[in-house]
Amino acid sequence: MSKHTTAFQDDDVLLRSLASGRSDALEYIYKTIYPTVEKMVFKMNGSTDEAYDIFQDTMTIVYEKARRNELTLSCRFSTYVVAIAKHLWLKQRTGKKRNPISVPFEAVEQFLPLAEISDQFETMEKNVARLGACFQEIGEPCASLLKAFYLQNKSMQVITNEFGYTNADNAKTQKYKCLNRLRRLFFTEQDKTN
Amino acid sequence: MNAPIDQNELIEQYCLGLLDNEQQALVEQNMAQDPAFRNEVTEFQMLLNTLSYQEGSSFIHESFDRLHNQTRSNTNVLFHQLSLHVNRYWKTASVAASVAFVASILTFTVARSIYKQNERAQYLTLRNEINSIKKDQRQIEKEVDKVKKNHISAVPVPNYPSKYSGTAFALNREGILVTNLHVVEGFSKIFVFTADNEGHACELLASDPENDLAILKINETNFSFGNRVPYSLRATSPSVAQRVFSLGFPKNDVVYNEGYVSSLTGFEGDSQHYQLELPSGPGVSGAPVIDEQGNVIAVISGKQSQTNGVTFAVKSKSLLHLLKSVPKETPSIELHSNALSGLGRSAQVKKIAPYVCVVKVYN
Repeated sequence: MSKHTTAFQDDDVLLRSLASGRSDALEYIYKTIYPTVEKMVFKMNGSTDEAYDIFQDTMTIVYEKARRNELTLSCRFSTYVVAIAKHLWLKQRTGKKRNPISVPFEAVEQFLPLAEISDQFETMEKNVARLGACFQEIGEPCASLLKAFYLQNKSMQVITNEFGYTNADNAKTQKYKCLNRLRRLFFTEQDKTN
Repeated sequence: MNAPIDQNELIEQYCLGLLDNEQQALVEQNMAQDPAFRNEVTEFQMLLNTLSYQEGSSFIHESFDRLHNQTRSNTNVLFHQLSLHVNRYWKTASVAASVAFVASILTFTVARSIYKQNERAQYLTLRNEINSIKKDQRQIEKEVDKVKKNHISAVPVPNYPSKYSGTAFALNREGILVTNLHVVEGFSKIFVFTADNEGHACELLASDPENDLAILKINETNFSFGNRVPYSLRATSPSVAQRVFSLGFPKNDVVYNEGYVSSLTGFEGDSQHYQLELPSGPGVSGAPVIDEQGNVIAVISGKQSQTNGVTFAVKSKSLLHLLKSVPKETPSIELHSNALSGLGRSAQVKKIAPYVCVVKVYN
């Protein structure tokens, strides 16, 4: 870790390493940024567990953005992360209707699209939850088949063997059938909820 | 790359970004023309996004959970929580602590000053403040008459009431006396009244503010008490319970009191004083404390205000010490032997009384 510590002090290097999911980058972030987040949430009447949850959510957002190359920093990476964590925490608190607290507003927070970020995050979380429900509904082997291809990035050949299809084309056809079922379920569900 | 046969595959590859530029343009063209196709692509894209988001999310959660659990098992969780709590509450705590600190200091200061006031109030110096003008006028008139009649006193006694009165007793026949400094301090008109009620102007010869003693000298060339002083001065400590008596002037006539030494230290353990169980009142300041053999062992200086009968007296040792500072030209002090040891109490008192005088000071 120490070898990289100096390299990670450069936000660009850190961001690239995070995007490629390098564990040393994650460790660096955990060691340098998490204590700040923990202290901040704790000061704003949160527990350490709540702080950790907020940190997880924040890092999920940041990782997703980094992976998609959507992240252009206008401030220090750590400042960015802490600002998002703070926003999420305050939003969560007001949602739970606990007694409100006044928090000094940092200048950097004005320039970050924090509301947009947290809205995106909530939509994605909702979608993930719904997708999970849809996977349950389409049942096996469809769910496993789709997960194997799209999540575990297994090749069609491997999947053919694992799932016992006669050939890759057969497996592919089966996969698209499953995908279309899932899609229909997912979007009709969405229409219902909307 | 092979041309995709299936539309599903085409969409999939488009969404995964696996198509080359030409095919990608083709798909986009199709999307622009066919809304149903576009909808299908968007939906597919969203599903893939959600899937990839889920994957990323679980990757992040798993990675950090691993780190978090590692760190947690390595560090003392309790200590960590404590430090966070300190961080959260230190402001409140420091305010509370400083309030408590200020309050305790305040209480301490107030309690101390009250205690000090009490202490001062408890110790009464025994000079007699003359408030009763009637009484004093009568007395002064009497004295003035006497002075007018006799014209003995070189300096006439003022014809107005005195400010304070106390007791003094002779140290030799030529008119050296001792009293408490608090009786005469700050006054230049000091008069000693002998048994025949004659006023004699005095000067302050020496004083010891620490032990509250003053040596007076009668300013008359031919003054004499007559015989030599009957009592002697004893510098050695008496024993506790030693019977003592004193002669003083709480009023215009001499008053005899009897008691015992109750402690070898005075007020609050003052080692220069004795504590006596002896009735006393204002005006007896400077009275001699005499033991049964006729030795002066102390000079009365004060009493405790809250208890009756507790009197404090300056040890004769201090008096001896002060006498060493008296100028050499003064007549010798006659306190080495006494003529009282064999006598009964009333005979002793009869002999001593002429040498105990009222001392009065005037503004």
